[in-house]
Amino acid sequence: MDSLFAQLVVLESSLALIFGLVLLWRRGVPAYVNAFTWQSLVLAAVAATVGWFGRERELYLVAALLIAVKGIAIPRLLRRMERRFGTERELAPYVNTATSLVVAGLLVLFGGAVMRPVVAASELPTRAGMPLAMGLVLVSLFVVVSRKKALTQVIGFLMLENGIALLALLGAYGIPLIVELGVFLDALMGFLVMQIFVYRIHETFDTLDVDQLDRLRH
Amino acid sequence: MLFVFLLGPALASALLALVVRPYRAAVGAVNAVLSLVTVGAALGLWREVLAGRVPVAGPDDLLRADALSTLLAFCVSVVGALAAWLGPGLGDDGWDAAQARRFRIFANLFAATMLFAVTTDNVGFMWVAIEATTITSALLIPLHASKASVEASWKYVLIGSVGIALAFAGTVLAYFDFATLVGRETSALSWTLLRDVAPALNPRVLDLAFVFILIGYGTKAGLAPMHTWLPDAHSEAPPALSAMMSGVLLAVALYAIVRWQAVVRAAVGHGFADDVIGLLGVLSLAVGSLSLVTQRNYKRLLAYSSIEHTGLICIGLGLGPLGVFAAMLHLLNHSVAKSMMFLLAGRVLRRYRTAEIDGVAGLLRVMPWTGGFFAAGMLAVLGLPPFGMFVSEFALVRAGFAAGRPLTIVLVLALLAVGFVGVLGHLNRMLYGRPSGSVPVGEGGRWALLPLGACLAALVVLGLTVPAPVERLLLDIAEIVTP
Repeated sequence: MDSLFAQLVVLESSLALIFGLVLLWRRGVPAYVNAFTWQSLVLAAVAATVGWFGRERELYLVAALLIAVKGIAIPRLLRRMERRFGTERELAPYVNTATSLVVAGLLVLFGGAVMRPVVAASELPTRAGMPLAMGLVLVSLFVVVSRKKALTQVIGFLMLENGIALLALLGAYGIPLIVELGVFLDALMGFLVMQIFVYRIHETFDTLDVDQLDRLRH
Repeated sequence: MLFVFLLGPALASALLALVVRPYRAAVGAVNAVLSLVTVGAALGLWREVLAGRVPVAGPDDLLRADALSTLLAFCVSVVGALAAWLGPGLGDDGWDAAQARRFRIFANLFAATMLFAVTTDNVGFMWVAIEATTITSALLIPLHASKASVEASWKYVLIGSVGIALAFAGTVLAYFDFATLVGRETSALSWTLLRDVAPALNPRVLDLAFVFILIGYGTKAGLAPMHTWLPDAHSEAPPALSAMMSGVLLAVALYAIVRWQAVVRAAVGHGFADDVIGLLGVLSLAVGSLSLVTQRNYKRLLAYSSIEHTGLICIGLGLGPLGVFAAMLHLLNHSVAKSMMFLLAGRVLRRYRTAEIDGVAGLLRVMPWTGGFFAAGMLAVLGLPPFGMFVSEFALVRAGFAAGRPLTIVLVLALLAVGFVGVLGHLNRMLYGRPSGSVPVGEGGRWALLPLGACLAALVVLGLTVPAPVERLLLDIAEIVTP
């Protein structure tokens, strides 16, 4: 039973990481939104799996919230933004695709190395997935710093949050529900504020290229 | 009950500003009066703590105010009151009704989230509240929509959110080990419990967690090299918001670091946590001091000075009990001094209509009081006697020698000297010289000078002596952080 649980969780974590890597080798925003949607659904599946095998009923609620907020609501808002600014593609990121993928690979390895003491200290059947979750966190961080379009950065940030949520699910079967609800609220509000600013940037600068944001230099 | 008076007024003011539409000056007046209730509640907490009690409230003792929380709650409430009295929406200050309404809603929510962050015992909720400070303050930075302010707020939102997300990753990592030890209760994120069982936690996991937490909250605190958003956001925000961000938001982020530092110390002992904090502190001090020299914009100058002082506070935190005492005294001084300076800078900006240092001349002739306060405040920020920061920096130097770190202290003094010389030159150019003919002479809005003068007086008092209640509170804090 435990080995089935462990294998399922590792499979799902790998999928989450792969959807994160899509941001590095695809160019269009629609592909990014799709990748984020699928990643959120996989994350919900992880919550449900851990809930089932770990007998944590609360996690079904978390899974339902994940589907509603990150699987449906946020992707819908992202698509609306994409329809307005969809013509703007990530043409020339600060780091090109090939290098990005190499860096991502190194980051995943680094994540594994960093998490070794944590994995060693854990006795949960889900522990094998934790290095993958840390890999996703680091890769998303890399996306945020290496991409130029505000919309891509937002999606990178959302994936970073997914990575941390995955880490919490694998390492401790999720954080206490009441705190989790606060985190959800923050995530949603934070996204809405970012959305306001994406529109504002487009209004004031006529582009979503953050390279244009260079008025404030010391 | 005290907690109701602490958190209630800000929430009530925000609600009032939300429902009264269009904005009326009465909303601002109610807000200003209610902000004093918050200060009173913070003083009430202070009295309780000095009497040896730790006020708690809510389910699972969700709210808890020990000496450390009390100091921060006091700083936030005082700076919140300054912003409420001197912010947009009271008197003729050049902001329109929509801007004043937006300021009153979000500034109060901002204050409430900070007050909640420093009084909750649950490190999970502490994170939620600090994340919420980004959301509530970001919308206020572009109160005057301009390219520069939109750029500043985008950097703030993105870098701040990413940083704070990393702090959450750290919290989660620390929770792993803890959950196996205590079980998956909400109370498993209680700081009190966390510190009590800390010796049983896995030190290597906790070290890793602390790195994430330090980078995460350090981003919000303006620690180098994660400080890049800070000069932009602090210089583009409206003055009252800059005062809150620089005066207390940085302090609240540092507070979160101190809470975790106490846990790591209890688990791992001295060493790792102290060393990394000290290292980032020196780096921030260096970045802040060296940038002071080349600044051409006086609001950015103040922002870089905040990075410098955050660095000093962190250096103190890494130096044992004496250092913690000095750091917390410095934090108190910085809250008062920097919020005063940003509000004064706002007055200068309104008169001269430029934030360039070169555009300001003859400040002492144009606005004698504002200019005088500005000069005195700048000397206070530079750590000259008879102002509070001289005392706290002196205490820091002593703590450094006591901890056997003379080299660090020499480096600190050298960097402070560099900043000192740089700023003095800038200040000189602003105060003297001949103002251009288009700048009207004479003070406007004189009553606003009263609270600012009170800040200056407080700095002088703190520079002459450390009053007994302050000293006892700081000693209690040193006890909490370094048991």
